Amino acid sequence: MQNNATLSYDYSVAKQFMLIAIVLGFVGMLVGVILAFQLAFPVLSNLGDEYLTFGRLRPLHTNAVIYGFTIPGVFSTFFYVAQRTLKVSLAESKFLNTVAKLMVPLYVLILALAVASFLTGTTTSKEYAELEWPIDILVVVVWVMWGIVMFGLIGMRREKTLYISVWYYVACFLGVSMLYIFNNLEVPTALVSGYGSMLKSVSLYAGTNDALVQWWWGHNAVAFVFTVPIVGMIYYFLPKEAGQPIYSYKLSLIGFWSLLFVYLWAGGHHLIYSTVPDWMQTMGSVFSIVLILPSWASAINILLTMKGQWQQLKDSPLIKFMIFASTFYMFSTIEGPIQSIKSVNALAHFTNWIVGHVHDGVLGWVAFMIMSAFYHMAPRLFGREIYSKKLMDAQFWIQTTGVVLYFSSMWIAGITQGLMWRATDEYGSLAYSFIDTVRVLLPYYVIRGVGGALYLIGFGMFMYNMYKTLSAPKLDKEPQFASPMGA
Amino acid sequence: MLGFLGKIDFGSDLVALLGGLGFFVVVVATAYVAGLYMKKMKEKSTSGAPLAEENWDGIGEYKNDVPTGWFVVYFILIVWAGWYWLAGYPLNAYSQIGEYNDEVRAHNSKFEAKYSNADHATLKAMGESIFLAQCAQCHGQTGDGMNGKAADLSKWGNEEGIMATIKNGAKGLGFPMGEMPAGLVDEATAKKIATYVMAEVSTAKKAGDAAVVAEGKAAFAASCASCHGEDGKGMNGMAPDLSTYGTPKFIAETVLVKGKKGHIGNMPSFEKSGLLNKTQFVAVATYINSEMSNPKK
Amino acid sequence: MFHWLEKNPFFFAVAVFVVIAFAGLIEIIPNFAQASRPIEGLKPYTPLEIAGRQVYIKESCNACHSQLIRPFKSETDRYGKYSLSGEYAYDRPFLWGSERTGPDLHRVGNYRTTDWHENHMKDPAAVVPGSIMPKYPWLFTKNADLDTAYAEAYTVKKVFNVPYDQPNGVPLGSREDAQKNMMEQAKGIVADMKDKDVKEAFEKGEIKEIVALIAYLNRLK
Ligand code: HEC
Ligand code: HEC
Ligand code: HEC
Ligand code: HEM
Ligand code: HEM
Ligand SMILES: [Ca+2]
Ligand SMILES: [Ca+2]
Ligand SMILES: [Cu+2]
Repeated sequence: MQNNATLSYDYSVAKQFMLIAIVLGFVGMLVGVILAFQLAFPVLSNLGDEYLTFGRLRPLHTNAVIYGFTIPGVFSTFFYVAQRTLKVSLAESKFLNTVAKLMVPLYVLILALAVASFLTGTTTSKEYAELEWPIDILVVVVWVMWGIVMFGLIGMRREKTLYISVWYYVACFLGVSMLYIFNNLEVPTALVSGYGSMLKSVSLYAGTNDALVQWWWGHNAVAFVFTVPIVGMIYYFLPKEAGQPIYSYKLSLIGFWSLLFVYLWAGGHHLIYSTVPDWMQTMGSVFSIVLILPSWASAINILLTMKGQWQQLKDSPLIKFMIFASTFYMFSTIEGPIQSIKSVNALAHFTNWIVGHVHDGVLGWVAFMIMSAFYHMAPRLFGREIYSKKLMDAQFWIQTTGVVLYFSSMWIAGITQGLMWRATDEYGSLAYSFIDTVRVLLPYYVIRGVGGALYLIGFGMFMYNMYKTLSAPKLDKEPQFASPMGA
Repeated sequence: MLGFLGKIDFGSDLVALLGGLGFFVVVVATAYVAGLYMKKMKEKSTSGAPLAEENWDGIGEYKNDVPTGWFVVYFILIVWAGWYWLAGYPLNAYSQIGEYNDEVRAHNSKFEAKYSNADHATLKAMGESIFLAQCAQCHGQTGDGMNGKAADLSKWGNEEGIMATIKNGAKGLGFPMGEMPAGLVDEATAKKIATYVMAEVSTAKKAGDAAVVAEGKAAFAASCASCHGEDGKGMNGMAPDLSTYGTPKFIAETVLVKGKKGHIGNMPSFEKSGLLNKTQFVAVATYINSEMSNPKK
Repeated sequence: MFHWLEKNPFFFAVAVFVVIAFAGLIEIIPNFAQASRPIEGLKPYTPLEIAGRQVYIKESCNACHSQLIRPFKSETDRYGKYSLSGEYAYDRPFLWGSERTGPDLHRVGNYRTTDWHENHMKDPAAVVPGSIMPKYPWLFTKNADLDTAYAEAYTVKKVFNVPYDQPNGVPLGSREDAQKNMMEQAKGIVADMKDKDVKEAFEKGEIKEIVALIAYLNRLK
């Protein structure tokens, strides 16, 4: 083992993306809470003229948490993890360092443009690909810059073999590149016709084809943004924090390749009973079921890494965060396959059960992991101890309660909706008008809103804890393993 | 709040059952497996397997084998997927539209056998939920028309409705005669005509004062017969057949089929949208006619 | 065996790419030609309907409304005939949506009408008590962006050969021709509406967003 002290890593980009992720994470979740209450109390949709209606805010929420929170979280952890596991410093290459530093202002520009565009209703309407073409171009540029830095660092590495986390970052980069570009091919109408808004474009694909390409992306956005890089994170931060070796190299290897292979085929589960051919839907269903195992491979590997280390789970809130994240990951990756079964999807599709599934994944897994990573990184990046362990523990319980309220209410709401939509009376006529199915959801919408608010409060506690950490006096040496906790 | 559950027949709706079951499988399977590994965490031993020679930033890796349970299930699923894909699915010759057609055919034949000659009470009961699901959005739950957003059905189909028609005219049912002009006669005469139509022309046969009926009859001949015919039967489809006015037939065979472009607004044709079958037309018409426009007092 | 890949990042990346691109191609390509064929008699959107569709997209109505009727009796009873692939041939982008917070709208033109939409978009809860849909009063005061609507029609005609200007088909023509046709179609809708400002604006040659939106909703059949 080489001595870390001889190498001084350059964390400035990691720090900047961390800041972006925290700010946008807060904004995104705040908007999420607003959305949740707008469905319970529709007057809230009409408080801000046209700008704050549900329709305008929803893409703002999804984009803020995906492009504003998750991706900067991925970038930030990448710049930390990659340098350390490849054993090279960004400072060693002037070129790579410049490219990396330029990513930050460009990314801030993208986010500012995105916020402005959603509030004014500039959207292509394709889920998770709502940005219009000029912003798409900027996104591609940043992404390419990331790729340059990534492969540049890999090229300069001192550690011959790539660590598991790096595999996942590479896959994230390649997967998103391919999918994002194809799904966003669009023709700007003003350039062709000479009339109208410069921002408007039409999709290169029409109808069913457009849906296919969209869900090829949409599903794999889940794979390559909400799963792959987050798995990469847990493979670094958990063993590092726990001071335990990874349980099984073989399992991580099989897990990685089979996850990539199987995930791509499962996108058909977003199109069940739609107008795409039966065989594609069936393929989506079948591969989704198989997908449980590759998904669980990394979760199990992580849990087994903690073998014999039960006391850490009790002592360290950070380990608790990560173990729960891993468990929520298992949870949503068995829930997803169940929702992919044709007859279950017939009930679940279009309902809030899907929204529940989304959020046990994103709140319990993605956001937990990103916060954990930041908690782990902060003492190392800033040379200070985490301000309060107690606060962390309280945050953990508040947020876990929030997630549970969120998904359980949406579960019941979704299955209720699904059953009421198809319920018939004794004569075979529909038993409920649509509005009956809307009214019955009110209590669940409220519970979800409360759950979301708890989660947001927890996030506020996280921000406060980070802030107090940063503003504390600096220590002079980097802690080796577990975070040194204050109080 | 969960009252709707009572209306769902879990026994025969396999899909609803599956959806509900899925709910439990998710919780149970996750809790079970997570619990299993939590227990392993409590076990004392750290892994005995040798460590790999690499080490990244202080992180090592054991050379443990893949957990057997995981591997076996994975293997079984791959075999199953291969079988399903190569044999199970193609041999099944499944088609979702085929499935739909079967569902509809089965329903229709059962429905027809049971309800093609349904009695009044059955029709009325059937009509109620149809009204709530398909009509209440415009006419309101009670059929009051929601402050004039659609026709107030309590006024339709009796003297009051005819008087309103005479006062405002009528349009939109698409008869060859086109529109009926507003204000053909004064209010007093209209009242007499209305009494006459409901008592003698309409098969609803609502009793009215004989003298008024006679006066109404004369006025009808003078002001209405030019379009609706002496007998009020609409001159072979030139204008509405008033003998059906105030009966379910008028609604089922005219309004629901043609829709209504009126003064208040428009009502679409339920024949074009295909949301209801003819028996359901009669059912909802019966419901309106007996519960709203002619409530038994 | 794989250990080798982890030491050779270039081949590692190639392997990752092959694994992920492979599935995508097999899933997407075979269906492409077939799914883009329009059903018999399908007409392209008129420029006014496109303007309405753009309003629909701008307000993200698809966040709450689907446009995909699945082949279940419970759906065809509620919304009408199940959706066919060929009906979407001119939908760029597709608007199937993935939530049904509100009802499906793929055939809403069959059972709702101009005046109903007018009342409803102004204040949904006044028409459907308990509705959680937002009010959209600004659609009644803002002018529809007809230039951008024309630009879209022109683009799909030029780039994707969408059949405008065919005998007995939907005319497009020049920007001026399109303006005339948009006014013509808007006239029928405005006539069925009650809002004074919308009517007055129309007299002055302006088309409000609500008029375009209703043109689009009425066309969904
Ligand atoms: C100019 C021809 C004409 C005359 C005269 C006329 N009607 Fe009509 N009437 C019609 C037409 C056409 C309709 C169908 C209107 C529609 O499309 O809704 C109609 C509809 C009606 C309806 C059904 C309204 C509904 O609920 O839809 C009634 C009741 C009626 N007429 C009664 C009368 C009476 C009573 C008189 C005499 C005072 C009269 N009509 C005179 C042409 C006429
Ligand atoms: C989209 C709105 C809408 C829906 C849905 C609707 N209606 Fe109507 N209906 C109207 C309007 C508006 C009128 C009044 C037209 C006028 O006279 O101005 C009307 C009028 C009527 C009338 C009086 C017709 C006449 O001739 O005077 C009857 C009866 C009626 N509706 C029955 C029904 C039934 C039964 C259903 C459901 C199966 C239904 N409506 C669904 C909007 C609707
Ligand atoms: C917050 C969610 C939400 C948004 C955003 C929304 N709607 Fe709705 N919509 C609903 C709900 C819930 C209903 C059912 C209750 C009702 O009819 O108002 C509905 C009903 C409708 C209906 C009636 C359909 C029917 O079959 O009765 C139409 C048409 C409609 N919306 C159009 C739109 C349009 C156009 C937009 C965008 C400008 C939009 N909606 C935005 C929630 C929403
Ligand atoms: C084995 C893994 C998984 C499978 C098979 C799976 C399956 C599904 C299915 C069937 C749907 C619903 C499609 C529909 O009917 O609309 C869905 C939606 C979704 N899932 Fe998963 N899921 C998995 C894991 C995850 C994870 C881990 C996350 C996030 C962390 C996630 C995020 C989402 C999102 C965001 C949607 C919503 C897509 C939309 O907008 O409609 N999924 N998933
Ligand atoms: C405070 C926490 C949050 C709350 C209250 C919240 C609330 C919501 C609401 C109300 C919706 C709309 C659902 C609908 O249309 O019915 C939504 C959608 C969504 N949210 Fe969140 N959210 C939160 C945090 C997050 C986070 C942290 C992420 C991702 C990292 C996220 C990702 C998403 C996604 C992907 C969707 C789209 C789901 C779909 O289309 O199926 N949310 N959220
Ligand atoms: Ca885009
Ligand atoms: Ca969605
Ligand atoms: Cu998916």
